[in-house]
Amino acid sequence: MIVDVNAYLGHFAFRRLRHNTATSLLTLMDSKGIDKAVVSSAAAITYRNTQAGNEEVAEQVRGHRDRLIPFAVINPFYAGWEDDLKICHEQFGMAGLRLYPKWHNYSLSGPCCRDLVNAATERDMVVSIPLRVEDNRQRSWLLNVPDLPLEEIVELVKAHPKARFLLLNGLGYLRSPLGRADSGLPSNYAIELSRLSVVLANELGQIIANLGAERVVFGTGMPFNYPDPALVKLEVLDATELDKERIRGQNAAKWLKL
Amino acid sequence: MTGEPRARVSRRTLLKSSVGLAMGAATLSAPRGWAGAISRGKVIDCHAHLTHRSRSTWEADDRKLIEAADKLGIDQLCCSILTPKRPATAEGFRECNQWTADGMRRFPGRVLGYCYVNPGCGPQAVEEARRCIEDREFIGIKLYNEHTCTEPVVFPVVELAIELGVPILHHAGHSHYFVEDQPHMSDAGHLAELARRYPEAMLICAHISGGGDWEWAVKAARHAPNVYLDTSGSVTDDGTVEMAVAVAGVDRVVFGCDSSMTAGVGKIRGADLSAEDKDKILGGNMMRLLGRRKS
Repeated sequence: MIVDVNAYLGHFAFRRLRHNTATSLLTLMDSKGIDKAVVSSAAAITYRNTQAGNEEVAEQVRGHRDRLIPFAVINPFYAGWEDDLKICHEQFGMAGLRLYPKWHNYSLSGPCCRDLVNAATERDMVVSIPLRVEDNRQRSWLLNVPDLPLEEIVELVKAHPKARFLLLNGLGYLRSPLGRADSGLPSNYAIELSRLSVVLANELGQIIANLGAERVVFGTGMPFNYPDPALVKLEVLDATELDKERIRGQNAAKWLKL
Repeated sequence: MTGEPRARVSRRTLLKSSVGLAMGAATLSAPRGWAGAISRGKVIDCHAHLTHRSRSTWEADDRKLIEAADKLGIDQLCCSILTPKRPATAEGFRECNQWTADGMRRFPGRVLGYCYVNPGCGPQAVEEARRCIEDREFIGIKLYNEHTCTEPVVFPVVELAIELGVPILHHAGHSHYFVEDQPHMSDAGHLAELARRYPEAMLICAHISGGGDWEWAVKAARHAPNVYLDTSGSVTDDGTVEMAVAVAGVDRVVFGCDSSMTAGVGKIRGADLSAEDKDKILGGNMMRLLGRRKS
């Protein structure tokens, strides 16, 4: 089973996306052999009121819950986020969150975010954090949103040892405590592979050696990205078939309690 | 993990397989998806680099590049070596080209050489490019960001490339802000302007997936039939290759990685194009350009 923990539905403000409805994404998934995908709203990245995007995703995944696992985009600096979280979890059945602190202009270490992570943890929801949405060099003239520094993630995972984090669209972990075995950090985070190298520098192989294959999860970033580059990574990864199976879906299934 | 069987992937299967991952290693050797797309011709990475020898691991790094190409089904890599600091001096680029020539000998048939020069070095740049192409079998010229390609100082190098019938791979990128560390960087619009001045030139616009606005780049190159779009770069945005083909035409799109190996291969594999079109992009178009060599 292949589980993609890094997928999206809906429109993105700065580029047309294909395969961004539930039906078309499922067709793409079928063509690539991807069984399940965690999806959140691409539109909510730039909506002021992210709950509108969550509602769109909840509507899209209706009838496809066996394959599409919805996550909520919550901005803890926006009015009513506690209500939104409750609705997303209890009414929409969303099993986790996606946070965009740089896009929504708040700090991961601030009290609002701390409250949100605590609230999500109490609900046993996974907190996923894309370290970037797009390559910053192609950004619109309207904005300049930096990638989320790994240092801020380090402090977050330390501050919330009982929370469960999925780190998406990141790289450079080996230069950070997040990718090292002796860091003393809690093992409350898993790393998604879509931007990790598997040849030349082979960051993915080193992360597996340092943290274990059970800390790596498969993700593509579709429909922002072609899914194939991530699939190719797993195909050429120098690892045991058992470890590959963990990364393909077993780890995600455990994290998501599928 | 010790003792468990490690999954093996045979050469070429990756570029053929669309659902190999889902099937597991045992079926990876069974081509799926656009099977046969590359079996008709070579797969050529039009944008690769060997490692500068100031890096102590250069030899192992070069070997890793070939091993990665083996894993991914890439037959040939068109390589250059750039000086670590720019603008390159004549001594600096001569040294790089010497090492590229050595790489062509160490990996015969796998590494094809681009001659890197800084056009600002005037006759020294032209002489070096001529020597590399005529005497050392380099296949083209690599230009970086020392000068915007529309500056007259670049023209003698372009005229030499036309004389010898070889392509120029030109570093390029377009961001909607001033890129401070590359003030003279060219973009696809500059290359289109150069192409209008020199319609006989073969100009490869480097890494449209290299981080700038690729939609801008593709559109800027639309009306320049002698500008070719290199798909390399770390960005794997869905639809990039299809848009390049739709706007510029499939004959003007060439496969590259620029060291982002799985990204490079994955983009082409994932593109919604016919096997015939992918065959052209993966190697056919580059073969056609290389076939225009005059000596």
